[in-house]
Amino acid sequence: MRENKEIRDDQIRIIGKEENKIPRYAYMLIGGLIILGMVIIAALIYAISNRADEVSRIEEVEPALFEKVCVTDTVRNKITWSNVDSTIAGYTEIRDTVINDIPLKLYIPHNAQMSLHVGAIDKSDTTIVYAAQAADVRADNGNIVGAFVLAGEPLAWGLSKKGYCASINGNVTIGVAENSPLFEEATKQKGYFFRQYPLVSNGKLIDNEPKGKSIRRGICEQEGRVFMVETVTRESFHDFAQALVDLSIDNAIYLVGSSAYGWAVDEAGTKHEFGKDNYYTGRRKMPKSISYLVWRNVN
Amino acid sequence: MKKFLIIPTSIDLVRIAPDKIVYIASDGNYSTLVQADNEVRMLSYQLGQIESMMSKQLGNDGNTFIRIGKSLIINRAYIYYINIPKQKLILSDASSISHTVTASKEALKQLKELLEKEVK
Repeated sequence: MRENKEIRDDQIRIIGKEENKIPRYAYMLIGGLIILGMVIIAALIYAISNRADEVSRIEEVEPALFEKVCVTDTVRNKITWSNVDSTIAGYTEIRDTVINDIPLKLYIPHNAQMSLHVGAIDKSDTTIVYAAQAADVRADNGNIVGAFVLAGEPLAWGLSKKGYCASINGNVTIGVAENSPLFEEATKQKGYFFRQYPLVSNGKLIDNEPKGKSIRRGICEQEGRVFMVETVTRESFHDFAQALVDLSIDNAIYLVGSSAYGWAVDEAGTKHEFGKDNYYTGRRKMPKSISYLVWRNVN
Repeated sequence: MKKFLIIPTSIDLVRIAPDKIVYIASDGNYSTLVQADNEVRMLSYQLGQIESMMSKQLGNDGNTFIRIGKSLIINRAYIYYINIPKQKLILSDASSISHTVTASKEALKQLKELLEKEVK
């Protein structure tokens, strides 16, 4: 039988009056349970408040059934084109719109012709009314990804991306195909040709593998009119392509997005830059085959 | 329900009401139980084992008993006289029971202070 703790002859002890009936680990357990309880209560309060926020946000955004859906006039409608005097200097009309809660910028070139440029671009070139990076370049060797024709000269022949854009004798064609006769045509006619991710083909969305979110850019065609679209916010490929479909775009391919540098010159001659002008500084070397889609003033 | 202290061995068992115990003294590996009827019974347990039984079986009611040093458990109900210099403690009901035991001065001093504290 286990005996009580030792006692000396000069000590007394009241029997049955245990000084510490609850062992120490019990106190630790109780303390742990109290802390756990507080954490659970805090988590519940946080979850409930978040849920309330979410519910209120959903209630604000979602329209009720059969109510008129409030969207911009461009959704499911053709873009209303501006009547521009063909004798004035070229410029880029910049429009803001929102499709599916995605804020977009439309860059519509007027009195301008599309071409491609390889290498560092001259930012002081006043003939340029719009410039944006066109084809991707390989990270390992800096070469252009996909077939590329510069003023009739083929610079690359790959087929890693099915979207293509050709500018031949001032006519811009955007499409999706593994083999396009426009590549040969561009070489013969001193035209331009490059490949990128396809986004929209004949009004149908095309999904692509990259799943991240970023500032997205694309070159689009709607009933023969060509213009560029850029997201103001970081979006996925899918959401961007869906917005283009909802913008009634017939064909569209991607342009280099994210921080890729470019600019547009509006009717007033104001230069609107996007991306990072100083991206290729310090340890970042500009790829030798960096390419630009360029719209130049034709007047 | 009135509690009893039950002290079993392999061959016998003692069942006694706590108020009938005057004191229990240590006797080596055994203990001597002195009852209110002046009966003395030897228990085949060490005093510490008896104390454990009291604590377990009587619970808070066990606090009527006080362990004094290594060799004594007394029933406080029978404390009648404490003399610290003479190291003398008389347990009595002022009637038919009177037993004198000895304890250390320090233990008796603490016992005296305990009883004084209880009346304040």
